[in-house]
Order: sequence, then C-alpha cells, then structure tokens
Amino acid sequence: MSSDRRPWTFFVLATLFTLFVIFLYGPMISILILSFQGPNGSLSFPLRDPSLMWFGEVFNPSRVGDVPGAFSRSFPLSIIVMLLTVLISVTAGFGFRRHFRGSTLIFYTAIASLIVPGLVLSIGVLVTARFLGVSANWYTTGLGAHLSWTLPFGLLIMFAVLGRLNPSYEEAAYDLGASKWQTVKEVVVPIVFPGMIAVALFGFTLSYDEFPRSWLTIGTKNTLPLEIWTMTTNVTSPSLYALGAITTGISFLVIGAALGSIYLIQRKRAGL
Amino acid sequence: MSERRSFITQLQVAPLTLVLFLFFVVPVALVVIVSFFRYQMLVGLVPDFTFKNYYDLLTNPTTWALYLSTLKFTLMVLVITLVLGFWLSYFLVFHVRNLVVAIGLFLLCTIPFWTSNIIRMISWRPILGREGLVNQGLQEVGLIDKPLDWLLFSDFSVVITYVHLFTLFMMVPIFNSMARIDKALLEAAIDAGATRWGVIWNVVLPLSKTGIALGALFVVTLVMGDFAVVKVMSGGLSGSATSGMFNDLQFLNYPRAAANAVILLIIVMLIATGIFRLIDVRKELVR
Amino acid sequence: MNATIDDTNTAPNTAPNTAAKTAHASGSGEIRLVNLSMSFGATKAVNEVNLTIPHGSYCCMIGPSGCGKTTILRMVAGHETPTSGEVFIGDTMVVGQPPVNRGTAMMFQSYALFPHLSILDNVAFYLKMRSVAKDDRRRQARAMLERVQLDHLHDRMPAQLSGGQQQRVALARALITNPKVLLLDEPLSALDEFLRLQMRGELKGLQSELGITFLHVTHTQPEAIALADMVVVMDNGTIEQAGTARDIFDKPRTPYVARFMGAQNVLTGTVDNKSGTTVVLKTASGEALEVPGDRVNASVGEAVSVSIRRDLIAVHRAETGSTGDVNTIEGVVEATEYQGNFVKIGVIVKGVETFVANVSDQAYFAEPVIPGDKVRVSWNIDAVHVLAKVDAGNEGSPYGV
Repeated sequence: MSSDRRPWTFFVLATLFTLFVIFLYGPMISILILSFQGPNGSLSFPLRDPSLMWFGEVFNPSRVGDVPGAFSRSFPLSIIVMLLTVLISVTAGFGFRRHFRGSTLIFYTAIASLIVPGLVLSIGVLVTARFLGVSANWYTTGLGAHLSWTLPFGLLIMFAVLGRLNPSYEEAAYDLGASKWQTVKEVVVPIVFPGMIAVALFGFTLSYDEFPRSWLTIGTKNTLPLEIWTMTTNVTSPSLYALGAITTGISFLVIGAALGSIYLIQRKRAGL
Repeated sequence: MSERRSFITQLQVAPLTLVLFLFFVVPVALVVIVSFFRYQMLVGLVPDFTFKNYYDLLTNPTTWALYLSTLKFTLMVLVITLVLGFWLSYFLVFHVRNLVVAIGLFLLCTIPFWTSNIIRMISWRPILGREGLVNQGLQEVGLIDKPLDWLLFSDFSVVITYVHLFTLFMMVPIFNSMARIDKALLEAAIDAGATRWGVIWNVVLPLSKTGIALGALFVVTLVMGDFAVVKVMSGGLSGSATSGMFNDLQFLNYPRAAANAVILLIIVMLIATGIFRLIDVRKELVR
Repeated sequence: MNATIDDTNTAPNTAPNTAAKTAHASGSGEIRLVNLSMSFGATKAVNEVNLTIPHGSYCCMIGPSGCGKTTILRMVAGHETPTSGEVFIGDTMVVGQPPVNRGTAMMFQSYALFPHLSILDNVAFYLKMRSVAKDDRRRQARAMLERVQLDHLHDRMPAQLSGGQQQRVALARALITNPKVLLLDEPLSALDEFLRLQMRGELKGLQSELGITFLHVTHTQPEAIALADMVVVMDNGTIEQAGTARDIFDKPRTPYVARFMGAQNVLTGTVDNKSGTTVVLKTASGEALEVPGDRVNASVGEAVSVSIRRDLIAVHRAETGSTGDVNTIEGVVEATEYQGNFVKIGVIVKGVETFVANVSDQAYFAEPVIPGDKVRVSWNIDAVHVLAKVDAGNEGSPYGV
C-alpha cells in the first residue's frame, strides 16, 4: 500500500470501474445517438441519415402523447416539491439536533416512508383521497406522495450536513451580539448552503422522475414519467428516444447547476 | 426557557410530522383497513371485516409463484450489487490516491441516479434487442449466426436493468462507511502480518458492515416494490409480487390489491427490521 | 441599541450612549462566582464554586479534562446556564443575560471563524450585528486587524490562513467588541510548540496593554504558571486552590495540587515527636522526616502530609551517603531522563509512589546513577512544605493510581 508501485488489484479494479461506467452511461448515450435517427431509421443501430425530425415529433400530440402538457405539470410539481423539501427538511434537521420526545418515532417513520414500496403508497394515498372525498390531482395528492419520498432523503442529507456543523459557530455569533434570527441568516444558512443545494437537487430530480408514487395519485392528467411509461408500450418510433434525450438533458442541466454552484461556493471558501 | 425551546423544536419538526402523517401513516393504515373490505363489481369498496382477500391470495398458487419469482430476482440482484458496490467503493477509497479524483469518479457514478429510471430502463432496448448492439457485435465477430433471443424481454434483461438502476444504492452507503476507515488501520494490519485479503476480510469488511446493511435495505425494498422494470423488461414473461396488485388495480379491485400490498409490506418490514437489529442506523448516520 | 443593560447597572458610567463601542471597557471586569453549580443529569460538572477574579488580572484555570473548567468559562460567557448560583461581572449579576450584554468576548478553541466570510468580515461581524454602516465597520475592523498585524491579509478567507494567523483573527474578532473580560478556551492547544510560546508572550503583552480581565482555560501547567497572575486549580467540579502562580507552585495547599502542578513529591507520616522548632514524622515504612515545627498543627499520633520540591532534592549512591539520617530515604533508581539543564531521576521507594528528583546536570554527571542503582535521596528541612490536607492516595498524580 505504501509502495509506489500499484498493486495488481489496482489494475483489475480500475478495469472493473471503467466497465461499470460504460455499463452506466453506454445505454444512455446510445439512445441519445439514436434520437438523431433519420426518417427511415429504426429503433436500433445503425444511425441512418441523421436528422432532428424525431425531436419535432415529440411535440406532435397526435403521434405521441401530450408531452408539452405533461411537462407543464411535471416541471412546476418538481419545483414545488423541491422548495418544500428544502424548507421542511432543513427546519426539521435543526429540530433533530436537540433531543425531543418522539424524535426516534418520527425518525423511523421517515425511514419507513423511504422504504415502503411506491406502489403501496400510491394505493394508500388514492384510498385516503377517496375517504376524504377529494379528487386526486398532481398539486394535492401527487405533491404529498412525492414529499413522502423526498423528505426522508432531505432529512438524511441534513443529518449529515448538520452533524458536521460545529456548534461553536452559532455560539460565536451569539457571543458577537447576533440575535437568533441573525445567527440563522448570517451564519448558519450560509455555512450549510451547499447541503441545502444538495437537498434541492434530490427534491427536484426525485420528483421530476418519480413514477410509482405518481401512478395513482396525480389524477387523470399525466406527468412526464407516466407519459413516457405509456409511450413505451404504444410508441414505436425513435421519438421515444428523442423525448428521453430531452428529459435527460433537463436532468443534466439541473444536476450541473447544483453541483456547479456547490463547487463554486467551496472554491470561494478555499479562497481560490 | 427549556419549555419554550422544546416548543420551538416541536414547531420545527411539525411540518415534517404532518406530511409523514398525512401522506404516509394514514395512507398505509388505510391500505391495511381496506384490505379487510369486500370488493363488489361496479360498486368497488364495501366496508366489511373479511379475510377473504387474504384467503384468495394465499390459496392462489399464482401469488406464491409471483413472490417466489420476486425473491429470486431480489437475491440475484442483491448478490450482484453487493459485489459490485463493495469493489467499486474499495477501488475509489483505497486505490485512488487523489481525493479530488476520487470524488469526481464517485460523482460520475451518482449522476445517473438523478435522471429518469424509465428512460434508463428503455435505453437497454437498442443494446439488448434482436437487432441490438450486442447481437450485432456477436454476429459480426462470428460467435453466433442468429441473434440471441434471451437478451431482451427475459429474466436476464430484468436483472441487468435492476443492477443498472440500483447498484448506486448499494455503492453510496458502502463508500460512505469505507471513506471513514482510518487508513492507518490498514497499515497496522499489514504490520501485524495480515495479507491483502486478510486486511479486506478482517478490517475493511467488518468496518463496512453498516454501509452494506443500509445498501441491502435499499436494494431489497426497491426490487421487491418494483413493477415497472419487471413489466417492461420481461416483456410480460415474468411477474413480480406487485404484478398481482397491478392487475387488481386495473379492475379497481382495491381490497385485494390492498391485501396484496399488506403482504408485501409485511415481508419488506420483516427484512428491514432484521437489518435494523444488526445496526443502529440513526447513530451511524449522525456520526 | 447602544445603551446595553450592563451600562445602566454598573457603577458610575459616564459614557454617553453614542459611544457604544467603548461602553464595555468602562465597567469593571471583576468576575465573581457565588455558589455556582452546574449539573448535567446526575453528574455535577461544577459544584458550589466561589471565586473572585480581580479586575484586570490574567487568570488561568487549570485541571484535567472533565474537571469543570470549561463549563465555568462557558457559564461566564453565557453559553451555559448554571443550575444554581450567581455570576457577577463588575457589579452586575449576568445569569440570564445574553453574552453581548455581559461585556465578555470569547475566543473559541476551534477559533470558530465563519468559513464563508473574509477575515475582514469576520472581524466586522460584531459591528454588522449592531448595524454600523459598512464603511465605518470596515474601517474599524481594519484598524483592529492592523493591531494583530494581519491587515495585509484582510481579504483572505479563513481556510487560507495558518493556525497562528487564524488565532490572531479570532482575537481581533473578540477584541472589537471592547470587552471587559476576554474568555479564552484552550487558545494555544491547536498550535505547534514554537508558535505556542510566541503567542503565549503576545497574549500576556496584550493583556497588560489592554488592562482587561483575561480568563484562560488550559490543561498545560507551564502555560498557566507563565501567564497567570492568578491560577485556579480545579478537580471534580471544585476549586482545589486559587492563588498566585508562585503560591500554587511553591506552596500547594493539597496533595492534589502538589502532584498536579508536577514539581513536588508528596510524603505522609504520623507525628512522632513534637519538640520546639522541629517535628518528626514517621512514615509507614519507618523513615523519619523532619518538618519545621511552626507549620504543623497536628498533635502526636496524627497524620500529616508534606511536599518536597523535586529540584531541592539530592541523590547519592547508597555507599557514599551516611545511613540513618533524617530526611533521607533509600530507594532504587527506576529511570533517568536528561532534560538539558537538569536530569530527572525517578526513584522507587518502598511504600511511596515513585519519588522524583530533578538534579542539576553538573551534580548528576559528577555522580551519575543508572536504573537499578541503590541510592539515597535527601533534602534540607527548609525544602519541606506542609500540606493543609492529608494525602488520601495518588490524587492528582500524573502516574495515576
């Protein structure tokens, strides 16, 4: 380990790692390429007469589903879920720093909410809506079902972030005359901000891509993952891949923005 | 003073508690209640207290076959993701010397997690299909002369997709545990005469226990609760525990779907409790 | 905002309410602890402590970890609320008041510099909280940074600074509040030996320049001895002894202090003979100890503990010394440790913990001994200090029980 020559296991594991990365990204890249298929191209390789026509088809509701409509629900839903996830899990994370009655119960409820099969929860939320006499909608039952999935993630991230937050920072602020609110605003939030971005990233992407918890809870009009799900069975043109490329592109934009801003903040703190 | 503080704490946790109560506790409780209701064609739910749904399910050989098939998938995926997750994490933590490179490679593995599972699932089609890349490649090399049928829409493609989607859930917790291992422990073990395998077996593996347990928890619950992958990637040839539920829901037979959900829930919770008995997850997380 | 509570409560304060930044310095920085107690569950971290630290003094609190010294510091700072008892700063009872109203400023062990702010903004933080205009607070913060010779680094981030520089920033950030009392929680523990000695000198210089009270928690004896006008030795939540560094070092009150400060041997015997100027004690193993009579109150048959400074002890080979003398004990050398200007010799003596003598290097090399040698250790009667408490065991011993 201490010698400079790499052990043979390094090369074996480096090969395994490379193969794994190819395994992870290969299929995604292949549908990205195939989304540029020409008019006579099929759902598989080779790529014939590259064109952008299937991207146009995505927005043609008669051929495909109502993609713009689905997006117009999915996007705001993900944004709302993201904001609520940050707000609720950050405040709850601070609450959990102090021991309180029922903390263990709430914690394990959150963990249970994380591991309960999505379909079971979907059924439950739908039945609950029925009993309450409300109709399922993306902005009511759908939102709640998504939160039951994103909040435990947010909480776990906040646990990790706040576990590393030295209480001396808050005491120092208090010592220097900051009020409770000023301490939160001027010291705590700026310090844990990268963690909050991570929570936001999970909140947005988990909601944007959620399928089983959406299935029965979003009502009659589909969100994007459900729209794609329907398309997997009845759309047989490369427009399916084009749609996949577009949504994956949006995901990558969000991931890039989140990771990029975390990187910039850390860089600034290191004084670079 | 302390009463006011505890009031503030309650207030901070209240939104979380409310959401969990309304969208997790109540729904799951209602699923349990509805599982004892009666189903009537065209009417739907009829309040009752009957074990008929459970009786129907448990006496139906299909249910058993489906659960057996799910358990088979779960076990296979668990073993594969465990092996992959352990060795990939081991590579990142103990073989990559530059921390920035290690974090970069780690992120490379996690990024797909933040993209759509359904897209990642269908992206296997052009790879594994009859005219897919694999068949094309094998034919060109001359290893086979007609395309392999079992690559797509088979148990094979289901397992491949599961591994593709869920390895990360195993890898992240194991990576987390391993990254906390003091490198000096490894050197101490080598000084004490341990071989490379001895170190892995006696030091790295025991100290990664928490990560392995958490990862196993994720993978087991994800595979057991899945219905999308098995439906799309098996081409309808295989079923899973949720397939029955899925069919019942198509016919609006909520009581039987609920009973099925309860059975699945019990199995998942049993496995989870087993894992929680091995480790104190909360203590490990805030460490 | 400007008139803080302590202004109105302290003795004559002529500072007008516009001079908020100098308001604190005008009050007295005397710290008075009255029956102060702090319990965490069943454990009493601080137990009925009474102590007065005069205004303008440098006070070091020393004791093993868990002795309650940091808890007292935090109660003075206002980061911990006592279970019972009172804390006065000047004439003001400050329990229940926020730190900023107490006239205290704290330097944290980890420095707790805000990682997201430049060092200028770190130092200006207090002024920002008081809504001082941006230009004004930056000017004041730069003046303060100049004072700790860091003005040239004002736009750096904390992560870019060395440990010593970070500490100066923490100091500047605390001093900009113009405190009457500066509280230092193990301020030198994160520095390497060389920097530690340098900063030690600077802290002492700063304290005499500012003339305010410093309360400094440490676990290193030389640090306390070197810095403090007043040393407070603590153990198990109580004060063992409070006094000048010289008193603590030379005239410890209890066996605990004698051992903890690390320069004394403790011996116990019963009064055997009390005649005029000298008292003779008999140890459990039968040795006779002569003790100045005016310092012993115990009567014949009672137990008395004494301490003997390590550097006032002579060590000779058993053959060369004469036998049967008073204030002479026989033993076997356990170990020797060369320390430069002196040699530390550990001697195993029957019935006593390891006896330590610090012998000057000339004396040692004139008559060297090695482990295993039989030796006689002896001392003059004037080197014997009578303790106010009878030894109950190895309390305070660096060797443990």
